Amino acid sequence: MIRKKAIAIAVSQIEYHDRIISANGFISRDLFATVDKSPNFYMIGSMGLASSIGLGVALKNPRRKIFVFDGDGNILMNLGSLITIGITEPKNLVHVIFDNSSHESTGGQPTVTNKIQLSKIAKSANYKVFQIKTKNQLVKIFQKIKSISGPIMVIVKIKKGGVISKRINIEPTKIKNRFMISLKK
Amino acid sequence: MKEVIQRKIFDYLLKNKIYNFVGVPDSTMKYFIEQGLKCKKVLITTREDEAIGIATGFVLSQSNSLVFMQNAGFANSISTITSLVQLYQIPMIFLIGWRGFLKNDAPEHTKIGKIQPKLLQALSLQSKILNEKNWKKSCDWALTLIKKGKPCALILIRDFID
Repeated sequence: MIRKKAIAIAVSQIEYHDRIISANGFISRDLFATVDKSPNFYMIGSMGLASSIGLGVALKNPRRKIFVFDGDGNILMNLGSLITIGITEPKNLVHVIFDNSSHESTGGQPTVTNKIQLSKIAKSANYKVFQIKTKNQLVKIFQKIKSISGPIMVIVKIKKGGVISKRINIEPTKIKNRFMISLKK
Repeated sequence: MKEVIQRKIFDYLLKNKIYNFVGVPDSTMKYFIEQGLKCKKVLITTREDEAIGIATGFVLSQSNSLVFMQNAGFANSISTITSLVQLYQIPMIFLIGWRGFLKNDAPEHTKIGKIQPKLLQALSLQSKILNEKNWKKSCDWALTLIKKGKPCALILIRDFID
């Protein structure tokens, strides 16, 4: 399964109004190309911080499900985020890592997530962790986590490749404003 | 800055609806942070840029936030300030401890202490230096700016050597 397919499946399994904070690079671009909507916050810079932004949103909106669409390169840049999420225990946070063991947005250079176990790090930081590889597993796990309280991590092992999605052509301040309005609803 | 004023600054900002104090500790503002910890309004993060990310999530949820850090952490955060806070115009107050202000501060603070005003200027991040006389006025200035949607910084000078 390639990233864009995995993102499309994940999006199809969550409610339209569930908030998604997506990591910079191809993850945000794929989400934007799959379904652009105001509850999506595309983080186009500040690599590593999608999970931190998601934590802030989750803590202040405890009745809403907050999804973070993260990448392996992104989370490796901000492993401390797992600690802070683990100790603040947002029950409504689902942290999805699309893991292709590479920095695909910058040319496919390798990361080391195939040599370490991110799942163990997250578990020791109080996450409930699920690791999956296939489309069927992805659908099933997104159904399953509806009745589980977070913080939850879903590691989706994906393959490199696929068409490169277009860049996000919405002004960052507009991305922010419409996201903020969507949170009020 | 005196303990009593640091505590007053915290209380004043809280009273004026700054609900979240997120950051990495600095001894320059020890009593400010302690005051916040007492009323459980402080979240200590692993890094300063992480704190800015969390505060961004708070601000997106209409909850006013301050991020505290030493100037070493401010230097760590420059890319986050330009590509998140300023790019999306996320209003938040930075409270930055100015190490290296005194000439005889520890050597690791010398360089950053020297270039800090220039960094703030290069970033076009508006700032005011707090002192025991102007602190209330400076806090009001910062509160007004974030109401207008603009991030800004309050600087706390490290005025002692330990």
